[in-house]
Amino acid sequence: MRIVACVKAAPEDSDIAVKPDRTLDLSRAQWKVGSYDLNAVEAARQVADQVGGEVIGLSVGSEGWSGSKLRKDVLSRGLDSLVVVPGDPDADSFQTASALAAAVGELGGCDLVLLGAGSSDRYAQQVGNQLGALLGRPTLNQVDAITVDGDHVRVERLLEDGVQVVDVPLPAVLSLTSGINTPRIAGMKDILAAGKKPVSEVAAAMPGASARVASLLAPEQVDRGRVVVEGDPAETAQQLAQFLTTL
Amino acid sequence: MTEAWIVVHDLDGGNALARSARALAERVVAVSVGAGGLADADLTLTVDAAPGALVEAYAQPVAALLAARGATVVAFAGDVRSRLLAGQVAAHLGVGPTNVAGVVSTAPLVVTRLAYGGLAVATDEITAPVAVLVLEPGAVTPSDVAGQGAVEPVDATPTAGLTLVETRPKGGEQVDLTAAKRVVGVGRGFAAEADLDLARAVANRLGAELACSRPISEGVGWMPAERYLGVSGATIKPDVYLAIGISGQIQHLVGVNHAKVIVAINKDKNAPIFQQADFGVVGDLYQVLPALVDAL
Ligand SMILES: Cc1cc2nc3c(=O)[nH]c(=O)nc-3n(C[C@H](O)[C@H](O)[C@H](O)COP(=O)(O)OP(=O)(O)OC[C@H]3O[C@@H](n4cnc5c(N)ncnc54)[C@H](O)[C@@H]3O)c2cc1C
Repeated sequence: MRIVACVKAAPEDSDIAVKPDRTLDLSRAQWKVGSYDLNAVEAARQVADQVGGEVIGLSVGSEGWSGSKLRKDVLSRGLDSLVVVPGDPDADSFQTASALAAAVGELGGCDLVLLGAGSSDRYAQQVGNQLGALLGRPTLNQVDAITVDGDHVRVERLLEDGVQVVDVPLPAVLSLTSGINTPRIAGMKDILAAGKKPVSEVAAAMPGASARVASLLAPEQVDRGRVVVEGDPAETAQQLAQFLTTL
Repeated sequence: MTEAWIVVHDLDGGNALARSARALAERVVAVSVGAGGLADADLTLTVDAAPGALVEAYAQPVAALLAARGATVVAFAGDVRSRLLAGQVAAHLGVGPTNVAGVVSTAPLVVTRLAYGGLAVATDEITAPVAVLVLEPGAVTPSDVAGQGAVEPVDATPTAGLTLVETRPKGGEQVDLTAAKRVVGVGRGFAAEADLDLARAVANRLGAELACSRPISEGVGWMPAERYLGVSGATIKPDVYLAIGISGQIQHLVGVNHAKVIVAINKDKNAPIFQQADFGVVGDLYQVLPALVDAL
């Protein structure tokens, strides 16, 4: 089976500084693969190990992939290869899905496309939903379990009020929950092997954006007391209890 | 007259969305997939969903219907099914949907959305020919103007593919954390599910609701999804929020930073939660919580 796992490199949010005028300073932010994208990589690897096949990582936006560290990191976690589609990493979900759809075509198609619950920067939760529509394939979000059964997969989908069990014919596009699996931590061997895995580029056109970003600002900060006590648990608990009863 | 469209798949959620959509336009027209007519919309185009069909199978015909009727603003609710419908309908219309945290103006249509896990708020002017919006809870103030409630049945053929095998309804309670005055939040500082009883004892003493960080719900499944707080979960505005064994990542804080008072217990004195807390205890929750129950 040929499985595509979509991953996005985005600036690590804990490295993003807020300037006094509330605009963001991204200059010192490391690029990182979104933590939920790793669920897609892990799920793809598990399916491939179970039924045989290859796992291709596919990412729109080349900026974050320029260094070998990030490439090695994601390749060490279960991908067989990585394909990068140059383009604006801050593209909206339709732009990204359009580029991914074109890239999947360039790669000669696949049986299953897996995506995480959402990217760490935009978290639109829509790239998979839109990609599935563009490819004209069965599509689901919030997939919490996948079992391959011949020409289809049986999935469990987490809804607000229950769990749906759905049979999905292949090829299909599935967006996963963050709880579907625990992404593996790569060992030394995996990291060494990752350096030898192929990384390539595929060009794909992107449509225009659906919105113009007028501003991007951190919210006003609330001033907090920031009293911190430390020491004997009985004593600090007593201080906390006192604080709570004054409210 | 300005017109906003909504696409719905259940009656209660649909009527609530119709009231919200009235903040976007004078007239609200609904496409209802399998949920019948909406009293709170002015007109509902009703699609008879085939028994056992997934509502999402109607994305393509719904998009065609919206295009044929010249819809320029289409709103969806934020539940799992509506989100998938929104993304698919938008793709068929050739546009990207926006997750709306707030509406700045309707002409031009300017909305806000969260970015970088809630670290920032982006203000977007929608430039697409059709604005597809997913209204997050609290994005707009619902109107109490009554709808006309007219109904017009329409034909639609679902796209083949997905087969619903079964639906297992989720047991358990419905919670509304947004109304709670006091909330105790638990995080991965708890080593085992049974240990949550320590937090429950504190919550009982304080008359507080129990909530959690996302990994406690989606990761280990110790708490239902409606009890996790944050950018992708519930947003609360209690008088007091007590975070126990929660590191205080931005994605979590966004859901709680409207609390009047934030209190934290964490064994790591460098945990980011202390930067956002009014009162913090550095300590092992396994020692502090029993002592706190005694002290309360
Ligand atoms: C796109 C995206 C969306 C997300 N949305 C959300 C969201 O909506 N809500 C959310 O909560 N998270 C969300 N997350 C996850 C978020 O980034 C954090 O991973 C998560 O909030 C961390 O949960 P935690 O604080 O419970 O766990 P951790 O970060 O692991 O923190 C555990 C804390 O417990 C402390 N601790 C450990 N043992 C003890 C002890 N014995 N006594 C006292 N303290 C102890 C540790 O010092 C640590 O600070 C999202 C992530 C992404 C990428």
